[in-house]
Amino acid sequence: MAMTPAPDMTIRRAAMPPLTAAGLAIVALLIGVALLGPLLTPYDPYQFSIRMNETPGADHWLGTDDQGHDVLSRLITGTRLSLMFGAGAALIALGIGAVVSLFALSLGRIAETSVFSVFDLIRALPNILFALAFVAAFEPGAFAVMIALGVSFSPMFAMITRATWRQQMARPYVAAAQVLGASPLRVSVVHVLPNIVGALVTQFAIILPRCIVLESVMSFLGLGVSPETPTWGRMIANATQYTEAAPHAVLAPILALSVATFGMAIAGNAMRRRFDPDRRRIAG
Amino acid sequence: MNNWMMQTLLPIGADVMRSIVIAAGIVVFSFFLIRMIPGDIVDVMGLEGTLTYGQQDAMRESLGLDLGWWTQFAAWLGMVAGGDFGSSLRYGTPILDLLKVALAPTLTLGASALAIGMVLGIGLPVLACIFPRPIFVGLVQFITLWSIVVPTFSIGILSVIVFAVWLGWIPALGNMMVPAIILGMDTAGTLAKMLHEDMVDIDRAAFVRTARAKGLSRWRVVLFHILPNAFTVVVALFGILLAGALTGAITMEVVFGLPGLGTLTLQAIQGRDYPVVQAVVIWLGLTVVIANLLSDLAQRALDPRIGR
Repeated sequence: MAMTPAPDMTIRRAAMPPLTAAGLAIVALLIGVALLGPLLTPYDPYQFSIRMNETPGADHWLGTDDQGHDVLSRLITGTRLSLMFGAGAALIALGIGAVVSLFALSLGRIAETSVFSVFDLIRALPNILFALAFVAAFEPGAFAVMIALGVSFSPMFAMITRATWRQQMARPYVAAAQVLGASPLRVSVVHVLPNIVGALVTQFAIILPRCIVLESVMSFLGLGVSPETPTWGRMIANATQYTEAAPHAVLAPILALSVATFGMAIAGNAMRRRFDPDRRRIAG
Repeated sequence: MNNWMMQTLLPIGADVMRSIVIAAGIVVFSFFLIRMIPGDIVDVMGLEGTLTYGQQDAMRESLGLDLGWWTQFAAWLGMVAGGDFGSSLRYGTPILDLLKVALAPTLTLGASALAIGMVLGIGLPVLACIFPRPIFVGLVQFITLWSIVVPTFSIGILSVIVFAVWLGWIPALGNMMVPAIILGMDTAGTLAKMLHEDMVDIDRAAFVRTARAKGLSRWRVVLFHILPNAFTVVVALFGILLAGALTGAITMEVVFGLPGLGTLTLQAIQGRDYPVVQAVVIWLGLTVVIANLLSDLAQRALDPRIGR
């Protein structure tokens, strides 16, 4: 056994770092739980019972909360709701940021300057402050929070759109399309957009966990969903009043939120490194 | 002379102009956003059952809520320009007084978070540059990953449960140190990453090799040759970091039960006390705009290559 085998010289794809793999596994699990939600819940998440603040056991794997709800069932329903509201907010941000800025960029200098000064204005207000002001102006509720977060994160997509759009406009294929008589809007939407989708999707992956956390914060503050709706933030808000009697009821949603954002942030970060080698850019 | 004006004054003027436009936008935005609310303070108090219809009309008249929005806007703008945000509709106290009281905890928390963030965010990359060993580089990577992956909100609530409820080390309400550390670590991450990358790049530059060839110690090379050249990153990020620390402070205050701007805003929203919400939006918004402007100007002063 003195001879060691010759080193394998073939070029192979680098193995995925374990942390990235963990992140992707968490994301897959979350999507699975969110999709299968109602099939997995052992109890009705809205069903009250007299067995309040019960510690985890055989009947209730994660115990019950202060109103006798089964924590596991609420956690599963909450996964679906929190992901839905977070993804909704991030999608609104993507829609507003990418669509409006693409139109503005195509329409020329004046449209670009005026639209982007509005984005600058939104960007100057910190997300949570913007969301608070927005929700104060409309009725607090899940949809107001979703729209507020969507609008407040839209500049981040607009900045990415502008930066990548400018890079693409210098490419020969754009000149070719222009020579063939394509209108500026057609060039942007039909030719440039498919080439910047990757950057937008990566940005989406980075913004999504932040939207989920902020939605939880707004729910926690009592400005999101109605009190009985089991989003993670709402569960945390309800259970923090009983931390001594039922620590499991607050730990469950907090850990779910932490693990979810951890997995998504890891996955988003890995995507950025994979698809966006220009690591210097500050997102937003 | 003319050339100097073109190259120096014009970009500065453009920066200042842009900030003024954004600041004006924030003021107008905060007025009209709040006016879109269906129902006013009088409706809320009416629903609470404390006012008759006659009293409601009288209250609207005394508060000027029966006038057209343009009249209200003009009057309000005049007052705000003089630094007067009016009185809280609910408590009747001048908003400026409420703000002054609430500002202290927020500023203390924001400033300590920023200080911790700066010390960690600059200190760790400097250590990693002086001693390029796995442990120090690992620390930079750890704090970077931490700030990306761990939201201050969830770690904040977790620490309340662990340190206040279970261990009893800190009071459940009013602790300032733990939120400052949490926010500080969050602030440090972004800075540490950017500064570390820059310092590693600069370490390869010819002038660093020269400094080393002169026989300077590693400490001297890093502190006096590499760090000053990488410092533009710190200045460039300052505005963003300050905004992050202040907004982080808003959430942390509510979690840790500190009577600051966040708590004030939350109560104002729940009580439909618009002028208070407006004043907070204007104050914090303008603070962020000014911090960003200072950041831009300082960056220009430090690095003459930055142009339009």
